Amino acid sequence: MKYIDNQPNPKNRKKMEENNPPKLKSEEQVDLTLDKEVGKNLEKFKAFLKDSSDVVIREFSLGTQSIPCALVYVDGLVNIAVINEQILKPMMYQIALLETSLNQPIQPDKIFEVVKLHALTVGEVKEVKTLDDAFLRVLSGEVAVIIDGFDKILIANARGWPQRGIQEPPSETVIRGPREGFTETLRVNTALLRRKIKDPNLVIKTVQVGRRGKTDVAYAYIKGVASQELVEEVERRLNQIDVDIFLDSSQIEQYIQDNYLTYFPQIEVTERPDKTVASLAEGRVAILMDNSPFALIVPATFYQFFQSAEDYYERWILASIIRLLRWSGAILASLTPALYVAIVSFHPGFIPTNLVISIAATRATVPFPAFVEALLMEITFELLREAGARLPRAIGQTIGIVGGLIVGDAAVRAGITSPIMVIVVAITAIASFIIPSYSAAMAIRLLRFPFIVLAATFGIYGVMLGFIILNVHLVTLKSFGVSYMTPQAPIRYQDWKDFLIRLPSQIMMRRPTSTYPVDIDRRNQDPVKEETQ
Amino acid sequence: MKIKKLAIVLMLPILLTGCWDNVDLADINIVTAMGIDKAEDGKVIVTVQVVEPAALQSSSSGQARGGSAQPKPVFVESYEGETISDALISMKSIVDKRLFLSTIQVLILGERFCKDGINEALDFLHRDYQSEYLTDVLVAKDVTPEQILKIQSDMEAIPAMYIKGTIENTAIRAKVKRTTLIELFKDIKNKCRQVTIGQITKVNEKTVKTEGSAVFKDGKLVGWLDQYQTRGYLFATDKVKSTIVNIPVTNGKMSIEVSNSSGKLDVEFKNGEPAKLSIQVNLEGNIVEYIGKETLDSPGNIYKLEKILSQEVKKEIVMTLNKAQKDYSSDIFGFGTVVHKYHPHYWEKVMDEWNDVFSRLPADIKVEAKIRRAGLIKSPMMKDE
Repeated sequence: MKYIDNQPNPKNRKKMEENNPPKLKSEEQVDLTLDKEVGKNLEKFKAFLKDSSDVVIREFSLGTQSIPCALVYVDGLVNIAVINEQILKPMMYQIALLETSLNQPIQPDKIFEVVKLHALTVGEVKEVKTLDDAFLRVLSGEVAVIIDGFDKILIANARGWPQRGIQEPPSETVIRGPREGFTETLRVNTALLRRKIKDPNLVIKTVQVGRRGKTDVAYAYIKGVASQELVEEVERRLNQIDVDIFLDSSQIEQYIQDNYLTYFPQIEVTERPDKTVASLAEGRVAILMDNSPFALIVPATFYQFFQSAEDYYERWILASIIRLLRWSGAILASLTPALYVAIVSFHPGFIPTNLVISIAATRATVPFPAFVEALLMEITFELLREAGARLPRAIGQTIGIVGGLIVGDAAVRAGITSPIMVIVVAITAIASFIIPSYSAAMAIRLLRFPFIVLAATFGIYGVMLGFIILNVHLVTLKSFGVSYMTPQAPIRYQDWKDFLIRLPSQIMMRRPTSTYPVDIDRRNQDPVKEETQ
Repeated sequence: MKIKKLAIVLMLPILLTGCWDNVDLADINIVTAMGIDKAEDGKVIVTVQVVEPAALQSSSSGQARGGSAQPKPVFVESYEGETISDALISMKSIVDKRLFLSTIQVLILGERFCKDGINEALDFLHRDYQSEYLTDVLVAKDVTPEQILKIQSDMEAIPAMYIKGTIENTAIRAKVKRTTLIELFKDIKNKCRQVTIGQITKVNEKTVKTEGSAVFKDGKLVGWLDQYQTRGYLFATDKVKSTIVNIPVTNGKMSIEVSNSSGKLDVEFKNGEPAKLSIQVNLEGNIVEYIGKETLDSPGNIYKLEKILSQEVKKEIVMTLNKAQKDYSSDIFGFGTVVHKYHPHYWEKVMDEWNDVFSRLPADIKVEAKIRRAGLIKSPMMKDE
């Protein structure tokens, strides 16, 4: 990926330097190496954090010898009870008890080890030797324990912040199937994955992304299933990202996708742990980000956007019929208005005479050509949809009533549009919402605008031309080395079992070949078990 | 650079000819029926029946607008010209929008036009891209096409739809020869069979009747077949799907619905010359109505009925064949096809005077009729003894 290097021009640069005196950054004010004295180390912390009200620095003495110590943590990110009971209490009080009962003070050069091994009753304790590391830990909710006489810091995990509970994913509801969805906390999300795969081969690796945000981004895959090349590619692309902050996984998607000039999504997004796990089992890699309830799944092919988790929970015949319905919905959503415009303004001979007459009858009073009429109504619909999506739910309903009933009916009565056009727009709208993936549905729905323009200029010929160009574009797309239109182009008949329809689970014993899995057969996926046999 | 190239490639198709005639549905006159006739001076008169969709909508939804007179759902206009296309184009001087011909449901040919020969005259309809090949073609008997198209039916707001409906009923009547435009073009080009077209007559200002057929010879109208002769013709040429045949029985009448019929033509050759025409018809029927005294409970009775039915159908075929041979000397059945197929050398020689040869040949007509079902009751309606 190549970015345009947007250098500020020299004039502005000079002004920027004037406004910002040197040595404003804390990094430039203090030495960043750790000192042995608590006071000096604290100075360094304070240089950065003194203006932040949520940072707590607690100085205290350790044991009978009153060795000066300090705690640094961020209020709100930590569990105060853990700090009081498991960190402060042992260090301030119980060590002194120990010393008096042994009748012998602990030697000052051993105190660091003693605290680590005997005092801190916390699960996760680490040592860090640089200030940078310490900052990262403290700002992620851990507690820094600074002890006089050592140029290293003990880090105890006492994380605990307010978080949203596990809820039903609002963007992907099912009638039958698990109801849990990812939350904004990475650890909860990885736990949800672990709860579904108890295979030690499930790997969840974490990298930090964003120079200032330093967001934890985890990518998960099953070793021995996911192709090694794919994993390396994901790692490479994640490490390549160089920005300051990230707010949501969709921003990661924008940086790691193959082609940013198309409006078809090339990475699948899901809120559902079960869907994520199913993808992992197919040999894909899932990318989870802290602070985002959406997991990214790569590689993604076009047909995945037509699959819903429920397809696999419902009986296969019903699921297949519904899946076919989705495909026809996609065609309806993108082509109906265009075909209507083309037929009405170029080829009335295509449709039965009775229908021609009734269409002509409804259009007789409409002053606009079909093209203008279609554009007008489609844009109105998009306005209503967007207005409804961003409004509070209570007002959203009002928009639906005003838009759908009043505007639709009044437009027909006023002679601005014909009833048939309203039907066409309604069919398009309903059909576009049948596609489970929101971003794919959006892309497919917006396709109708270029198609309407083509239909108005060239008729059916234009629609066909547009369709061909669209297909050429789709087959050139790739997602992490996999052709976007697999298994249709290139044709892989093995994968057709789960493409337009879904065959019974008993028949789908192999993983899709499009992800190039290490192990194609689902049945001997557990190498540990195989070795013991 | 790449994007520039791509843009150029994407622009190229614009240079191709697309559908150039962008005409909005609101800017065309929807022609539902067309009539073609000839004036006495040899000019072509073209009549079109055009739908007024707006008027149609208001009349169907019953909203009278402002109490004014109900606008007519269709208007009929005629114009004279040297050719069909000339008349159609000249007609623009009296109609407000472009005439759109793809929606034509029925094409009605005038008697005088047909008598002068239709072979060359229909060139325009074959050449023009707007022609709808599934248009039904009819010949108007005793009236001009214009008079037919000007009727105002109570059954349908659009007369063309009404006429089309009457022809579609042929499927259960078999009393009119249904000819679509594409079949007509095929028959005109085919030397082995002469053209026959369904016939339409006017009953009164509101009703027309499609019954019987017009017989052509070498593209010229030579005569007519009545409804029974038409059915005989359709039986022989395997075009009957269903029909009702009335047969006389002792002390009564009986109607039999033919549900299945197949006809086969053949020409028997002797010494390299055609010796006999043969027509073989097999049909199956059910008794639908019986007004009589005898019960129908024995196979013998049914067998007797089958005999009568066969004779009745045979009578119709004989009548038609006689008419075609003696009166019109026109091979409307298509015996020529058989000769062409199985005796191509003889056909080469006789091609041009085949109609005369056909007229001289004796015929052997066989009809095999079966009665399958007698409905819900066996005996006629009468008091039990």
